Parts: sequence; structure tokens; C-alpha cells
Amino acid sequence: MYLRSFVMTALAAALLLPGTAAAKVRVAASLNDLASIASSVGGDQVEVFSIARPTADAHRVEALPSYMVKVSRAQIYLKVGLGLDQWADPIIDGSRNARLVLVDCSRGVHLLEVPTGRVDASMGDIHPNGNPHYWLDPRNGGVMAGTIAEALARVDPAHAAQYRERAEAFAKEADATWQRTREQAAALPTRVVFTYHRSWSYLADAFGLEVAGTAEPVPGIPPTARHLANLVSIAKSRHVRIFLQEPYFSSDAGKFLAREAGVRTAVVAPSCDAPTAGSYLAHFGSVMKAMTSAAGKS
Amino acid sequence: MLRLHHRKARAILAALAPAMLAPVPETRAGVINPNISIVGQPFTRWTDDAGDPALKRAVLDAGETEIVFDDYLNPYARGFFTLAFGAEGAEVEEGFFTLLRGLPGGLALKGGKYRAGFGKLNPVHPHAYPFAERFRVLAAYLPGDEAFNETGAQLSARLPVPGDWAVTASADWLKGDSFRIAREFDPLSITDPLVADPDADRPGEPRPGVLGRLSAFAPIGDRSGLELGLSAVQGTNNVAAATRTTVMGGDVKLKYWTSPNAYLLVQGEVVRLDRDEAGWDEPAAAYTKGALKTSGGYLYADYNFRIRYNLGASYERFQEPTPDKISHQAFGAYVGLALLEETTAFRLDWNRFMPGTPPGLTTSPDAVNPVTLRVIYSMGPHKAHQF
Repeated sequence: MYLRSFVMTALAAALLLPGTAAAKVRVAASLNDLASIASSVGGDQVEVFSIARPTADAHRVEALPSYMVKVSRAQIYLKVGLGLDQWADPIIDGSRNARLVLVDCSRGVHLLEVPTGRVDASMGDIHPNGNPHYWLDPRNGGVMAGTIAEALARVDPAHAAQYRERAEAFAKEADATWQRTREQAAALPTRVVFTYHRSWSYLADAFGLEVAGTAEPVPGIPPTARHLANLVSIAKSRHVRIFLQEPYFSSDAGKFLAREAGVRTAVVAPSCDAPTAGSYLAHFGSVMKAMTSAAGKS
Repeated sequence: MLRLHHRKARAILAALAPAMLAPVPETRAGVINPNISIVGQPFTRWTDDAGDPALKRAVLDAGETEIVFDDYLNPYARGFFTLAFGAEGAEVEEGFFTLLRGLPGGLALKGGKYRAGFGKLNPVHPHAYPFAERFRVLAAYLPGDEAFNETGAQLSARLPVPGDWAVTASADWLKGDSFRIAREFDPLSITDPLVADPDADRPGEPRPGVLGRLSAFAPIGDRSGLELGLSAVQGTNNVAAATRTTVMGGDVKLKYWTSPNAYLLVQGEVVRLDRDEAGWDEPAAAYTKGALKTSGGYLYADYNFRIRYNLGASYERFQEPTPDKISHQAFGAYVGLALLEETTAFRLDWNRFMPGTPPGLTTSPDAVNPVTLRVIYSMGPHKAHQF
């Protein structure tokens, strides 16, 4: 009797325990931001990792074979889309993963800078379907959470309701973060800023900032002396005091603007620090802190 | 207002979500047309080689222009097609499909005409080299004229190993045309049928070759990595004499990021050529078989900084694949600049080739110093760089 119970229990454990361990949905993401949202939405039911480092340019990621191996074990891949992470294609192809669900997280988000006419390389490294840095608006983060929840529900229908609930909760938290950060932005001495690349258009739109110019004359093209001289004129006439720049760009433009027009550089990564829950929304506070600090120095 | 906009977006998204999960093309145009890129590579070259008709004169050359088409064929496969235009006309340099997923065991299948996956440099198109000229050792040892480029089929598998190591094994079955060595005219071998008509090397008769490669990539930190590989290829260089060419190689590539915008790349290959030499026994009117075994290799280091600049140095040493096995060596140095971004790049390459001493002579021929300035410009989609 006891032996039969023991065998039945062992059999049940053998059948169920690996199933429990394997039940975690493995999610790969191009950026920490997408991965962080997936961690918030997926909770304990997911294992998440991301590929691009926040301190490296997300336009230029090498398709390492080790990334392909990682993605081969994933069930979902979260892509930024809009041409930003084209490097994800060889990684996904190289993973040889036929059951991978590919999710374009740009679906449904509010897009900025969508070209209306002909697009060509004379405009620089322009994205024909719109500016791809949309995750830098927390309200878009709420939309992305919904997209990710639906992908998780498709792969793991047993926890679909939990994913949708967490996505709703995340969207509310994202709205609260938007409100709070907008108030912090309103307290800045000036809301007219320069940025290096057009990475910060969504952040500016979300928090009522005005981008008076970018160091790059057109996206992807390094600053020229004449263009920087124009920025100096704008800085003086518009009282621009903050220059938002990613850590992987040259500091030369920032030094020039500081010397010629007293503009202070806030070096901030456009992506959050970690693929963990909470990191995405906390990043907006970090950006605002860096901007406040830069504004205070001038 | 904006908040309402985003809430509406979420509601609409929830209703449409199942349809939105499928992969979507980056651009609407891509639904119908493949990605099209054009790469031009004009260059100017100067050399002090007394045997070169352009001795100490800068020569301008349009170089080779490539038109590349690539895209998905369906959810499981991609197609890739390269047309090359040069001084000798146009040719299909590559044209192949790759079945990327859906095969059992994570296998991938490639078929068509492609640059064979021997070592690390041969599969790469020259415009992606950090220097301007191909290494002589590869030109001398690998089958084919400008590259080891063959029609064939490849099956590859990623072997299961713990951690994030990527261990890949591949096997190719090749048509083998590039192994063919045309018989030279020899007045003492008048009955050799292939001397009388070198092109009559059993036309239409298959001379299949085989290629195998095993490579292991180990990540170092987030972005750096080390890759080790072994390659071996064998094919028939003379069908009538049943003589074979075998090339074996080992390669290493280390790419180490020293900062977010700078990396050091060190890459090298050692190659061994084992070639049967078909001779002709005139009295017996039959082919004889000799053996030639030579070896060589190259090593280069490339430092890439601030995204747009690179500089490096190279060294190669190899035995000439002739019975005398004269040992040659060359040093090189180069600098590169991407003018604004990677679509327009300049590569200045200096090379010092020091020929070995032929038998019977006490001194080596003079070293030659070719200098090449190549401009590489490209139109079309940017490609992510493979390690």
C-alpha cells in the first residue's frame, strides 16, 4: 500500500516537476527595455534575457554565434522593429528556431517622425517607418506591455489571464511614471534641449521638452564644424542649457557646446540598466536626474 | 489628450493582438521586392615590381562592382544572389538558398553557388576585409581563381554543448570545378590527351569535392569572443589521372572590445596543401601520380576605433606550391576610414612581399612594395556584421 503510494507519488513528481521547470517561458529581447517590460508582465512564469547592452549603440550590434545559441532556446523574441534592430534577423535566422514567436513591439505604439515623402540616404540613416526609439515614452511602454502579454498568452495560455492583468497594472504604473516625470521635467530651468541623435524625440514629446537641434546634422552623420556653430547660435538665442547624449558617442561635440555656449552635457544611456522588472520605468527617473544635474551646473 | 490616445491604442491593440504577433516586414516595399544593395570598389595601385607593366605608375581601376539581392523566400528560407561586374564581364558570383529552420535537429541546408566556408576569410566578400588585398597564401592554396567559390550543397548542425558556446559542424558536397588544374603544353608529352586539348578534361564528367568544417565560438563578456575552427576540403584536380587536391586548415579569430567604440581583432589561419601532381608517362601513354605538400599561413591584427577608423598589420608566410617549395613572406600595414558612415570607406594598404630564394641562386629576388588605395561605396540596406 505504502509502496504503491510512493511509486505513484514519485511517478507524479517525475511527470510534473520537469513540467513545472519547463513551464517558464523563455523570452529573448533586443533591448533591456523590452526585456524589463517582459519581466514585469511575465512575472515568475518567464525567463528573460536581452542582447544589446545599454552602453553600446543599439543600431550596431554584431550577430554573435552565442546570441544565436541563446535565442535557439527561447520561445519568444521581442524586436524593436522599424529598422533599428535589423541585426536581430541574422541572430533569429542563425538560431534555427522554428517555433520562435517573433513579436514586433512597435505595433500599436504612437510613432513620431514618420516620413511622408520619398526617403533616401541623403537624409542620413533615416527609418522609413518612423523614429524607432519609441520605448523612451513610458506611455508606449504600456502599449508594449499589452503586445508582450498577448505573445506570452499565446505561448503559455494557462497563464494568459495573469499576463493580461500584469500588463494592465504595468500600463497604469507607466502612466503614473509619465505624470511624475513630466512634473520633474516642468521644474527644469529650461525645457529646450539639444540631443546628439534623434533617440530622445519620444522622451521630449512625453515630458514637454523641445529639441532645438541635434548634434548630428542628419541621423547617423557625425557633427560638422558649421553645424555645431549653428547650434551655438541657437543655444544663445533660445537659452539651451542641456545636451542629452548617449555614452557611446564622441564627447567632442558636447565639449564644444560647453565651451562656446555654456551648454552642459547629460550623458545618459537610452536603454535601462537591466532586463529585470522595474528597471524600465526607473530609467526615466535616472534620465531626469541626469538632466536636472546638468541644468544645475550651467 | 495624449493619455487618451495611448489608452485607445491599448484597447485596439488588445483586440487585434493575435494578428499582430506574426513577423512583419520592415518596409512595405519588401513584401514584393528583395533587398537590393550595390557595392562598388574602385582602386588605385602603385608598385615597384619590375615585372609589373605598371611599374612605378599609379593605375586606376574600376574594380569589381557587386549587385546583391537577398530576402526571405518563405518563413523558413532565405535567398541570396550576387552579380559581379568586372573587367572580365559579368558573372553570378553567388546564388544560393538557405533553409534556415524547420529541418529536424536544428539542421540548416544551403544550396547553389557560394563562397565555400573554408576558414574565416574565404567566405567573406573582399569589400568587408579591413585591408585592401587578399592574402597570397589563400590565393595559392585554395582552389579557384579569385576565391574558393563553388556550386554545391551544405548541411550544417549546431552541436549541443553547455553554456553559450556555439559549436557548429558543416559538410558540403561540391561540384568541384575549381579543383581542376589545366594541363600545360609539353612537347615531350605529345600523346597526353589533355595537353592536346586542355579543355577536354573529361567535360561533363563529375569531379565532386567534399568540404568539412568544425568551429567553436566562445563568448568573452557581452560583446567579445574567440572562435576556433578546423576546415578540410578535397577534390579531383585531374579526372583522367584521378589526382586529388586536399587542403586542411586551422583558424583562430579573437575580437575583443576595449571600449564601447573600439575593438581589437586578431585573426590567423594555417593552411596545408597536399596535392597529387599528375604526370604523363609518354612511353606507357599513361598518367603518373606525384605528391606535393606545402604549408603556410597568415596573421593580422586590426584595431578599430571611434567606429569609423581602423589600422592594422599583417604577416604571411608560405611555401610556393611548386616542386621547389620556395618560401615567401610578406608584411603589410593598412589604415581605413569610413568617411561619414560605413557606406563610404577608404582603405590604404601597403604590402612588402619578399620572395624566397630559388634553388641555384644565392640571393632572393628584390622585394616588391605594392600600395593600394581602395574606395568602397555601397547603396542599399545596411547589414549587421557577423562575427
